[in-house]
Formats: sequence, structure tokens, C-alpha cells
Amino acid sequence: MEKLQGKSESSFIIQMKNVTKIFDGTTVIDKMNLNIRKGEFVTILGPSGCGKSTTLRMIAGFEIPTSGDILLNGKDITTIPPYRRPVNTVFQHYALFPNLDVYDNVAFGLRNKKIPMPLTDKEGKPVMKVDKAKAKDLKRQIRRIRHDKIINKEEKEQRLEELQSRLQEVLQTPVQAFKFRHLTEQEIDDRVVHALSVVDLDELEDRDISTLSGGQQQRVAIARAITCEPLILLLDEPLGALDLKMRKDMQLELKEMHKRLGITFIYVTHDQEEALTMSDTIIVMNDGVIQQIGTPEEIYNEPQNAFVADFIGSSNIYNATVIAPKKVRFLNHVYDCLDDFPVNERVDVIVRPEDVHLSDTPKENYIQGRISAKVFKGIHYQYVIMIGHDELLAQSIKDFDQEKPIYLDIRPDGIHLMKRANDLNVYTDSYIGKDHRVYIDDAPFDCDLSCLFATSTVDEDGIVTYDKKRYDFANADVIATIDPRALQISDDTSEANITGEVITAVYKGDHYLILVRTENEEDFFVATPYTFNPGDIVGLTVRKEDIKLKLKGEIEDYEI
Amino acid sequence: MVKKILSYCYIYIILLFLYLPVLYLMVYSFTAAELAGQWQGFSLQLYADLFTNKEIMVALGNTLILAAISSLVSTVVGTLGAIGVYYCKKGFRTLIENVNQIPVVNAEIVLAMSLTVMFVFLGQNFFGGSSLFSFWTLLAGHCVLATPFVYLNVKPKLQQMDPALYEAAMDLGCSPTKALHKVVVPQIMPGILSGLLLSFTLSLDDFIVTAFTRGPGLLSGQAQIETLSTLVQAKIKKGAVPPEMRALTTIIFLIVLAIVVIYSIKVNAKNKDGLGKHAKRRATK
Repeated sequence: MEKLQGKSESSFIIQMKNVTKIFDGTTVIDKMNLNIRKGEFVTILGPSGCGKSTTLRMIAGFEIPTSGDILLNGKDITTIPPYRRPVNTVFQHYALFPNLDVYDNVAFGLRNKKIPMPLTDKEGKPVMKVDKAKAKDLKRQIRRIRHDKIINKEEKEQRLEELQSRLQEVLQTPVQAFKFRHLTEQEIDDRVVHALSVVDLDELEDRDISTLSGGQQQRVAIARAITCEPLILLLDEPLGALDLKMRKDMQLELKEMHKRLGITFIYVTHDQEEALTMSDTIIVMNDGVIQQIGTPEEIYNEPQNAFVADFIGSSNIYNATVIAPKKVRFLNHVYDCLDDFPVNERVDVIVRPEDVHLSDTPKENYIQGRISAKVFKGIHYQYVIMIGHDELLAQSIKDFDQEKPIYLDIRPDGIHLMKRANDLNVYTDSYIGKDHRVYIDDAPFDCDLSCLFATSTVDEDGIVTYDKKRYDFANADVIATIDPRALQISDDTSEANITGEVITAVYKGDHYLILVRTENEEDFFVATPYTFNPGDIVGLTVRKEDIKLKLKGEIEDYEI
Repeated sequence: MVKKILSYCYIYIILLFLYLPVLYLMVYSFTAAELAGQWQGFSLQLYADLFTNKEIMVALGNTLILAAISSLVSTVVGTLGAIGVYYCKKGFRTLIENVNQIPVVNAEIVLAMSLTVMFVFLGQNFFGGSSLFSFWTLLAGHCVLATPFVYLNVKPKLQQMDPALYEAAMDLGCSPTKALHKVVVPQIMPGILSGLLLSFTLSLDDFIVTAFTRGPGLLSGQAQIETLSTLVQAKIKKGAVPPEMRALTTIIFLIVLAIVVIYSIKVNAKNKDGLGKHAKRRATK
């Protein structure tokens, strides 16, 4: 069993296990589990602030996880500093050393490299010594786990015990000692010349960094990172600063380079097209959590949730209900579909614009809409079609007239159903304050206490009368529920009940579903016709009759 | 056209006002008259007297030794401080930056007085009542004076630096210390150099802190350390400035001028060699 596990794990070059990273109280990465196979081109894709760069920085060693482990070829490298990891990075703005020329930039890593040589005494016998470096690493690991406040106590103790015994073992068993030598100038020269030829920069070795164009700097950065022959090349949005044409060329070139070098590439980007073009595997992240892992085809054709669907390519997303096996209702019409979901389940449905069939004459099963906008995109037209209150994005190579009726159909293979994320706002930690308002996330909301019990009444002092008895619910714990449609969202935070930051916004035909997170990390889903962008600071208000309350505990405890 | 001439005139008048006194001084260093302003014919007498005047030579030696040591110490301390503070958390960084502003805007007399009081206090309470005043207190005084200026010179260079450079160095196998000296220090070198020069000149012509914190030592032996500024001040109290000082200041000015000229020539002259450095090295093998 153990052997089998060992074998299956050996194909993974990077494993992240339960990795959590918290910066100043904000969770940036939340219990992430990730396996990356040897030799793959993996892209971590997500909007800015989703934690993708932090993930990369943890693999590079610039950040140490608050909790969890990072394994490289099965060995724990969580606390190994960046300069001892066989991993190199191409930085976002290249980070070339401006005081050195092209050659010296590329040679930089090689000049630091040290080659271990077995140490022998005068008689040629190997010298045995205690491996102090390894002991130091183990001590660092012990310290990290001791400070980990997230893993449970038993696991912590078990792991500490294990590490301690390994430390003792290392301290007591001398192993072959090594001395280290630097690379010779000749070795360095060979490798630099080779790396420069890989990126087609042979001619520029004496140039100052400041005299190079953006694309050339990009190539120097890549050459610099690959001369040390890393096991993994990390690329942090490396093409972000290039113009479109250059970016396209570089994408293909990077893909080609990946094939030639045969090492693992981990690429971070927010550009979905870039991810689709280059990757073997795409990891879609949002809000510190992996949303989906798959090949570009899987991610595009079978997104697992509305976020992925919205982020990758353009798409139409609607709330839908499964009304019979493989039959789903949306846009006021029943469609056959291929995905099998339980009947009556509320789902999200996604339709790609290219899967919408258009016709200017009525046909069987086609529903009617009206073209409200039309854009020429080169090989096709893109139409915005109004069906009742819902918007639908469609593509066609045919030229239809605007403002005229249009007929459209969606075939079963163009309809993809996804489990709907929980979008109800339920707050189980709420309580009624002394002022008889409900406190959600420690912010007071006016509420109607009579909704706790049907037929009850509430007087001006907040005393509830129910079944001829009087109750004072001050300090009572309650569960508060707010419908996303009842929340009002606004840029004006001065009169809001609570303020927060927009995390995601997904368009669903006739409204946006917006996730707002407060400072205390409480989430509010808001349905609104208005558009807000991730990162916006917004205020939320709610009318008091829209807050539904449920008492936790017994009503008798509050009788007066 | 007239406007152009006027604008040139403006610059030249300002330059004239800046350099005329120096020029005047230089001219009168080549005459042996006691009082500046009297021309008694060309002579190098003052220069000969200068190098035989033991008082001035001792003061000059003291000044240079003090300036060299104090500028080195404050450059090291100020640079390390700036780097340390740069990588600190924001709250602490703001605090240090504000605290660092105080000595810069503060009147020097306040600094000098407080140092004196502190040295007296320390001497009486921790060193058995003996006087602490010596070369070391003087050095401490000059370092305290110059360090904030070094910090202020280095800080903007750090802010201009791409913060990813340090990480890139670590990524390419440098330990933190190595990354610091191979990447960060070369980046902020211009700031360090100007900090060094500034602290050197601050020490060179400082009078107030010197007068308050000096004690016996250095080339002055058992007597109070005399620097050029304290010597001139002592002489003025009794009469005129010694005429040899005219020769000395001329020499100092010429040395500074030479440094500035060499520096700017070096900055402007780039390696304009035909064959590149690396190709050349390969060819020689």
C-alpha cells in the first residue's frame, strides 16, 4: 500500500497540502490542496487579488505558509529559503539587475551556484560528518509547526514528535561530507552562451539592460532563470508589460521553450486567453480557493461553477430549475440538456455565445427575441439579444438587422448545467441587541421582531407580545436570513448598514450576483441590476421587513 | 533675444556672487600681507608658512582624521539604518522616519547642548565622576550630527529601486546578506556616496558640536583637540585670522574642485570600446 502511494505521488513535482496563508488577519489562501505533475505547463488563472501570485511566491519560497505543507518531489520544502530551492522565477517586471549587462545578468545565478564534491581525507577515505544543514532545516520546520495555530492539536503533536526523532537521527548519524566549488569561468560561459541562444539574444551580451526593449528584457529574464537548470520555472504574469502582438509571439515561443527544456512551468496570469493558448492544465482560482482544475478544453466546455464560466470566455449565465430528468427551464422556455441533475434542483446554466443558433424567420422550438446591440468582430458578428428582461449574448457569421425580431435556439450540447453556489445570506451568529435591533457581523440592522412568531406584535420599546405573553429578546441569539434581492447596494457608504468590498460579480441575464465581503470576513450576496467591480467599496442597506429572523433556543427564556 | 540675454545674465550674476569671494580669497593667498585686501606683490610665502605652522597643521590633521572616521561611521550606520527601516513594517517605518526628521531640522546648538549634558551625566554616574570628554565624545557628536543626513540620502535610492531585485537575487541563489551586497548596495551606491561626502563636509566645517563635545586627544595630545573651525574661532577672539588660512582654504577649494571635475568626467565617459567586454575576454583565452 505504502509503495503504491509512493509511486503515484512520485509523478507530482509540487504538492501543496492544506496550505493556508493569512496576511494581517486576511485569509489570502484558504486550505489549498494542489498537485502539479512533472513536466507540465500549468497556469494559475484568476482575477487580481485571488491569491495566485501568493501561491507562486510560496512555491518560490518568498512567503512561508501560515499552515500546511509544500512538497517538492515528495520532500517538504515549506521552510527552505528561496536561494536553496531548485526553482527559478521570471518576475512580472523582469527585475533585471540594472548595474549589470546582459551577460552578467544571465550569469548571476551561475556565479552563486556551488557544486558539491565528496570530501575525502588524505588517504582518500570519505569524511563523515553530521549534516548540520539538514538539522537546521528540521529545526526550522519544528519551529514552524509549533507556531501553526490552524492544524489540530493531535496532528501537531504527532508531527512534532516525528520531526524531533528525525532531528535526533540526523544529529547522531554522520554522513558523507561535501566540500563545494564554484563553477569555472569556462563552465559559466558555456551555459550563458547556450541560454542566450535559447532566447535568441546571442548578439546582445554586452548591452546595458536600460538599452533593451521590453521584449528583449523579457528574454533576458527568461535566460537568467533557466541557466541554473531549475526543476520548475515560475512565471509571474511575465507578458503583462508587452504589447499585444509581442505577447502573442512570446506565448507561442514560451510554449515551444517548454517543450524543448522539458521542465515544469508554472505560469500565473489573469488573461484567460493566454491560459487557454499555452497550458496543459489550468487552475482557476478565486478568493483564495481553487475553483477548478482541468485541461483548457475542460475548463472552457465544462466549467464547474458560475465564476469559472464567467471568467473564461464570454458566456450567458442564468438561474434555472431542473423540471424533469434532463430538462431545464430558463429564459421562460424548457430545454433538453445532457447534464443529469436532480429534479427541482436550482442550478446555474451556462450557454456560450457560439452555441446559440439564430434565424430571422420563425422555426419550430425557436424562441423570439430582439437584437438590441450588434458588434462586428472580424470573422463574426456579436449580438446582444433581449428575451423579455433577459440579455443573451450570441455570435453568428450572418448579418442580421438590429431592432428586428430574431429567433433563436439552443441545442442540448450547448447547455451546461452547474451546481449553484449557495447564494442565500444566512447568518447564524446574529443576536438581538439591547436596542432591539439585530446585529449581523456586529453591525446593527433595524428589524421587525414580530417576524419571529406569526401573529405576534411588537411595541415601541421592542417588547414582543405573543399569545398574550410579553417577551424581551434583548441579547437573544438568532439566525438572520436576507434574500439577495432585498439588499440594496450603493457606492455611498455613509448611510449604509454595513460596508464591504466587492469580491466577485457574475452577470446572470438580467442582474448581477455580487459577493460583498465585510472587514470581518462576513459574506453578503447581492442581486442588483447595477454593475460593480471587484475591489469596489460598497455600502449595503436592507429594509427592516426583509430581514427574516429565527430564534435559537427557547422562547420561555425571554418572557417578562 | 533680449529675454535670452537677460536670462543668461541672471545666471552669470548669481554664479559671480557665489564664486567671486572665493576668487578674491584665492588671489590674495598669493601675497604675504597680514590683512586680506592688501596686495604686497606676488609671493608663495603664505603657502610656505602654512606647512611650517604647527598649530594649523595639527588642527588640519585633527579635522581630517575626525571627518574621515566620523563620515565612515555615519555612512555605515545611516545606510544600514535606511535599509533596515525600508524592509520594516509600515507603522514602524513611519515612526523612524519622523524621529529622523527631528535632528535634521533641529538647531545644532540644541544637539550640542544635550550631548554635553548627557556626557557629563554619564561621566558622573557611571564612570566614577571622571570627565568623558575626549576624541570619542567628539566622534560620537559628529556621527550623531551626520547620520540622519546619510539616511536621507540613501532612502530615496531605496525607494527608486525595484523591490523585486532583492527577491530576484535570492531566487538566483544569493543568501540575504549576499543579495544585499551584490544587488541592493550597488543600486543605492550613488546615495551612499553622496551621504559620505555630505557627512564628510558636515564634519569638516562643524563648529558648535565640536566646541561642546571635544576633549583632549588626537594630534593635540594632552591639550583640547583643535579643529580648523575651533582654531580660527580662537584666533579671531585675539585678533585677525592667520593669513596662512587663506592659503589653506585655497588648497581645500582646489581639491574639492578637482574631485567634482574628475567625478563628472568619469560619469560622462562610458565605455566606448569597439569589441564588447565578454567577447574580448573570450578572445584572449
